[in-house]
Amino acid sequence: MAAVDVAVTPARKARGGSGRGALGILFAPVTLLIVLFLGPMVIMGAMSLLRFPPNTASGYTFQHYIDVLTDPLNWKIAWTTWWIATAAMVIMLAISLPLAYYMVFRAGRWELFVLLSLVLADELAPVVKIYAWQVILGRNGIVNWLIPGPPKTWLLFSPFAVIVTLAASYITYTTIPIYAAMKAIDASMFESAIDLGAGWWVQSRRILIPLAAPGIFIAMILVYIPMLTDFVTADIVGGTGSYMMGQRVRDLILGAGDWGAGSALNLVMLVLSIVFSLVAYRLARLNRIQT
Amino acid sequence: MSAADPSGAMSHEGEIVIEAVTKRFDDVTAVDDVSITIPGGEFFSMLGPSGCGKTTTLRMIAGFERADDGRILLQGKDVTNVPPAKRNVNMVFQAYGLFPHMTVTENIAFGPKIKKLRRSEIADRVAEVIATVRLEGLQDRRPTQLSGGQQQRVALARALVNRPAALLLDEPLGALDLKLRKEMQLELKELQQRTGTTFVYVTHDQEEAMTMSDRIAVMNLGVVEQLATPRELYQRPASPFVAGFIGTSNLIELRVDRRDAGLLTMDLGQGERILAVGGVQEDRATITVRPEWIKLANGTPDDRASYVGGTVVDVVYLGSITQLIVLLRTGERLTVHRLNDEVGATEPEPGEHVMLRWAADHSYIVGSSPSTLAEPPA
Repeated sequence: MAAVDVAVTPARKARGGSGRGALGILFAPVTLLIVLFLGPMVIMGAMSLLRFPPNTASGYTFQHYIDVLTDPLNWKIAWTTWWIATAAMVIMLAISLPLAYYMVFRAGRWELFVLLSLVLADELAPVVKIYAWQVILGRNGIVNWLIPGPPKTWLLFSPFAVIVTLAASYITYTTIPIYAAMKAIDASMFESAIDLGAGWWVQSRRILIPLAAPGIFIAMILVYIPMLTDFVTADIVGGTGSYMMGQRVRDLILGAGDWGAGSALNLVMLVLSIVFSLVAYRLARLNRIQT
Repeated sequence: MSAADPSGAMSHEGEIVIEAVTKRFDDVTAVDDVSITIPGGEFFSMLGPSGCGKTTTLRMIAGFERADDGRILLQGKDVTNVPPAKRNVNMVFQAYGLFPHMTVTENIAFGPKIKKLRRSEIADRVAEVIATVRLEGLQDRRPTQLSGGQQQRVALARALVNRPAALLLDEPLGALDLKLRKEMQLELKELQQRTGTTFVYVTHDQEEAMTMSDRIAVMNLGVVEQLATPRELYQRPASPFVAGFIGTSNLIELRVDRRDAGLLTMDLGQGERILAVGGVQEDRATITVRPEWIKLANGTPDDRASYVGGTVVDVVYLGSITQLIVLLRTGERLTVHRLNDEVGATEPEPGEHVMLRWAADHSYIVGSSPSTLAEPPA
């Protein structure tokens, strides 16, 4: 009996050791999460289902969902939001991939400096950064001062301005996961690729990008969702052609006072975001390479 | 072996010539005026401690480092400034550098695909090389699903599929455990003989180099100390460094007291002496004696044998042999290996006084020093 006990106890400890102790540690944050995160969700869910929110006696309906999903304006805004966010994503990846490659394989002692610069750039207040882009892209801004000829007015208060500003705002969040994924790549892989005749393009396409893929998918999760709901950027540097979903929800609720439509639209976006995240997360896991 | 092939007089197939090559990194001269000719089809090893320049030399052959001085000829053509992709050699890296997101087949087909070979040709070559390295049935596995030895074979196949003029191997067995390493050594040697490809092998493990190589260049501090067959290296080391690096070796400072028809004698009194054969003119020489050549003496041996007494300080049973450490009166310690080929043979105990003997021609002179060091040590 004693021998069995001795044999079983360590095994149980090893497997279930995180059980009770971890629950105690997690109690406070989990409670906070429920109160601060799920709480508003439940309220918003209720709002989206009430016939005349916030009147709880008005009865329940799916009409708000039907309304927002059949309103062509919402579809147009969704399209704008999607392509602006995607364009920004493409720009960020085009910068982050070479930058992360440089940091991991070329920077040497500058690696930490670049990493710190990225973190510090993110520490700046977002609104200050966005206004800085007004200065850069404005009619009398730096870009127009550098480029000869008549001022380019499409630089600011346009989809272009929103794309560039979004890309600049979120570059830290695309670079760092990709950097982390590339950190796990053994540099000898590039040497063996070169030895087998691969030029830089084959190395990038067949070695670097596939191995960095988990980081790319994580970056997309981290960046797409805030971009889809961002309204400050479009408010400050955007124009009529760059009206985005975040602005739409804000205007429905705070402008028109239409809690029903605003909440319904917001929850539709939430569900889409969760689906997108799960797919991207699954892809990141599938592409993860154990070394 | 094939080094002696006389038909290769005109053909440079698989031949590598390193001509007075020097490589510096900042202030450090990693490779210092090294010249080596490796005939086609040879299993050639570069052996030495870390930092001796062996890997740098290999990487210069591969094209990953550029020589500061000298030339490298591959099959008779100067490739000193040719990039790695354009040289007809392939390298097997210590960490293998296998692509973890590709299957065994995809890894092996990587090179031929880049060379834009026809699809059927690629399939044929991959199948052939998979059979050569015995990876059948594992074609669709990822490298992480393979054992260390199997990964090693994939790395070999991925290089061999390109049919290189020479295969360059940078300590490829370093990551394997001892037993597997020994198996792979024999397998590599057999593979090299079967394919007839020139193998240039870098290692710090003298036993590994001895097991596989036709010839070995022993390197130290950026220069080749000796380039010879394994047998020559062991029996006739050219320097104290080589003697010490290849196998276990006893280095003894010989004071030449008498010189008689090529027989050098160091008298230790009471009939004890250390003998060596050689034409050294100096008064002092360094000799090496392999541990297995030293025997325990029962009674005075003949005139052409060293005969010297000492105290056993350590007895280590190593299975097939027993190793004794014997402290001589001159202060030197000799390692003596006794073959355990008889059951129940008695061993000396630590502290016991023993007499040792070895034939004069087993004292091999590896260096001499001029007579400026006139004072003999006590």
